[in-house]
Amino acid sequence: MSAPLLELNEATIRFGGLVAVNKVSFKLEKGDLFGLIGPNGAGKTTLFNIVTGVYKPTSGDILMNGTSIAGTPANKIATKGIARTFQNIRLFKSLSVLENVVVGGFLRHKTGLAGAMAYLPPAIKETERLKEEAMNLLRIVDLDHVANVRSADLSYGMQRRLEIARAMATQPQLLLLDEPAAGMNPQEKEELNGMVRKIRDEHEQTILLIEHDMRFVMSLCERIVVLDHGEEISQGDPDHIRNDPKVIAAYLGEATEE
Amino acid sequence: MKFWGVRIASILVAILLSFGLEKLGRGTDSFTQQLIVFAGLYVTLAVSLNLINGITGQFSIGHAAFYQVGAYSSAYLGIKFYPQFHGNLFVWLTLMALVGAAMAAVAGLIVGLPSLRLKGDYLAIVTLGFGEIVRIVIQNQKALGESGGLNVAPHTTEQPIMFVALLAVLCIAVCRNLLKTAHGLPFLAVREDEVASSAMGVNVTATKVIAFALGSAFAGAAGAIYANSLGFINPDLFNSTLSISVLSMVVLGGTGSITGSALAAMILFYIPEKMRDLKDVRLALIIGGLLAVGLAVSAIRYVIFNVHKSAAIRAAMHVGIIIGSVVIAEIVAFALGKIPALAGTVEGAKLRLVVSAVVLIVLMLVRPQGVFAHHEFSWSWVQKLMGKKAPSTEVAA
Repeated sequence: MSAPLLELNEATIRFGGLVAVNKVSFKLEKGDLFGLIGPNGAGKTTLFNIVTGVYKPTSGDILMNGTSIAGTPANKIATKGIARTFQNIRLFKSLSVLENVVVGGFLRHKTGLAGAMAYLPPAIKETERLKEEAMNLLRIVDLDHVANVRSADLSYGMQRRLEIARAMATQPQLLLLDEPAAGMNPQEKEELNGMVRKIRDEHEQTILLIEHDMRFVMSLCERIVVLDHGEEISQGDPDHIRNDPKVIAAYLGEATEE
Repeated sequence: MKFWGVRIASILVAILLSFGLEKLGRGTDSFTQQLIVFAGLYVTLAVSLNLINGITGQFSIGHAAFYQVGAYSSAYLGIKFYPQFHGNLFVWLTLMALVGAAMAAVAGLIVGLPSLRLKGDYLAIVTLGFGEIVRIVIQNQKALGESGGLNVAPHTTEQPIMFVALLAVLCIAVCRNLLKTAHGLPFLAVREDEVASSAMGVNVTATKVIAFALGSAFAGAAGAIYANSLGFINPDLFNSTLSISVLSMVVLGGTGSITGSALAAMILFYIPEKMRDLKDVRLALIIGGLLAVGLAVSAIRYVIFNVHKSAAIRAAMHVGIIIGSVVIAEIVAFALGKIPALAGTVEGAKLRLVVSAVVLIVLMLVRPQGVFAHHEFSWSWVQKLMGKKAPSTEVAA
C-alpha cells in the first residue's frame, strides 16, 4: 500500500509552557473529505499552521506521501502541493479578483523574470494562460462575473469563495480550508456545502477543513477528528463523533463517566 | 507580426523622442541642459524607488545611497581609466551606467538580505541608517576624495540628454512590463499580505531582494550619469534630504503608480528650480496665499467627504473653490498690503522649500493616496476620456 497523502505522527508544538497541539496523529488518504473540529482554542488553526509550514512542530513528524515536510518553509510547502485558506480572510486586497487567483497559479510559472521585464512573447503567453486558468476556477466558485472587481470590495461570502479559488489555483494535492463557512448566512452555507462537495467529487480534490458549524461538518465530512486543548479526543465518521461522550463533554462541559 | 511591429515602433519612437529632446536641448544654455538631465535622473530615481516602496511595499528611505554608489563607481573608474579610453563618449557612459548599476545592485543585496526580515518603520530606519553609513564611509576614504569630493573625468561638457532620456524610458518600461505580466503579481502580493503570499508559494524574501536589487541598480545607473553630468561630486550631494525628496515624489505621484512617480518627479523637481528665478514676492501676498490654500483645502475636503453629487458637479465645485480662493488671496493681499508692517517683500528663491512642503501637506489632506493613486496611464484610459469605448487590446511598449 502506498503511503498516505498526509500523515501526522504525534505532531506537537509548544509555545513556552503552553502545549498548543499535543501528540496529534491522523492519516489522510487521497480523495478524503476530512473534518477537523473542536471548541475555541482547541489548536485547530495551529495544526494548520504546522502543516503549512508557518510553524515548525516541536516534536513529532508530518509526512506527505511518505516524506517528512516538518519545518519546510511555507512557500516550499505550497510548491509541494498543500494550499490553504485563512480563518481571518487574507486576500490581496487592492488586487482584482482575477489577479488574486493568478498569484495562486504563479508558482507553476516557467518563464524567467528577465523575459517579463523585456515583455517577451513567452511571458505574455504564460500570463494569458494563467489568467485563463484563473477564470476557469472563478467559474467553479461562481465569481467569474466579478473578475475585475477589487477583491476588498467583494461581499464577505464572496471573499471566502475567492480564497478557495486562490488556493485551488496552486493545483494542490491537499486543500486546507480554515472555517470556510464562518460568518455566512444559512443559505450561503448551503451553497458552500454543495460547492465543497463538488470540488471534491469533480476535481478529485482531497480536502481537510476546520469548521465550527456542527451541522455543516456533519453533513459534509466523511471522517472527522476532534481536538480539545490541543489533544485529539475522538476520530471517526459523523455518527461515531455525534455519539462520543468525550466530544459531547468537550462541547457542553459535562463530566465524563469514568 | 503585429506584436513585433508595435514593439519595434514603440522602441523607435522612444529613441526618436530622446533624440529630439537632445536636439532641442542643444539649442539652450548649459544650465537648462543640466536641468533636463537632472529631471530625467529624478524620474529614474522616483520610478525605481516606486518599485521598492510602492509596488513591493518595502518602505525604503535610503535611495540616495544607491545613487551615490553609482556616482562614485563611475567617478573613480573615470579618473583611473578614462585617459586610456579611446572610444565614443556614449559607449563610455553606457559602460559606466552598467558598472554603476551593478555596484548599486550589490549594495542593494547587501542591505536587502539581512534587513528584509524587518517591516514598516523598522525597515525604514535601517535603510535610513544604511544611507548615512554609505555616505560617511565614502567621506572617509582617501581614494574617494574624502569630504572634498572628486573631479569626474570625463566631465561631459555636452550634457548627455539623450542618454538620460533613454535611461528613464528603460526604467519606466521595465517596471511597466513587469506589472503587465504575471511576474509582477508576486511583488504586489508581498505588498498586500506576506503570510498569504508565502502560502501561495511566493518566496517573500527573494521577491523583496529582487525588488531592492533592481530598484538600486537603476538608481546606480542614474548616479553614474549624474557624476559625469555634474563633473564634480562630494558626499554632501547624497545626504538624506535627497532620499526624502525622491520619496516625496513617489508619495505625491501615488504610491505604486509608475505614471504618478514619473510625473511627480518632474513637477517636484521643476517647481523649486523655476523658483530660483523668482524676484521679490510681497509679504501680504504670501499671507493671503496661505490663507486661501487653507480655505480651499477645507472646502475641497468638505466636497470630497460630504457632497454626494455626480462626478461632473463635484469637479465643477472643485474648480469654483480654486478660482474663489485665488480671488480671496488677492483681496486679502490687497487689504493686508495697506498695513505698513506687511508692506515688505521676501526674496522669492527662499520660498522654494516652503512651496514643496505646502504642496505635500495639501495633497495629504485632499488626496492621501497620491495624485494617481494605483492608476496608470494607458491608451484605453485616454480613449475613455475622449468618449470612445476602450479597445480590448492594449498597445505594448
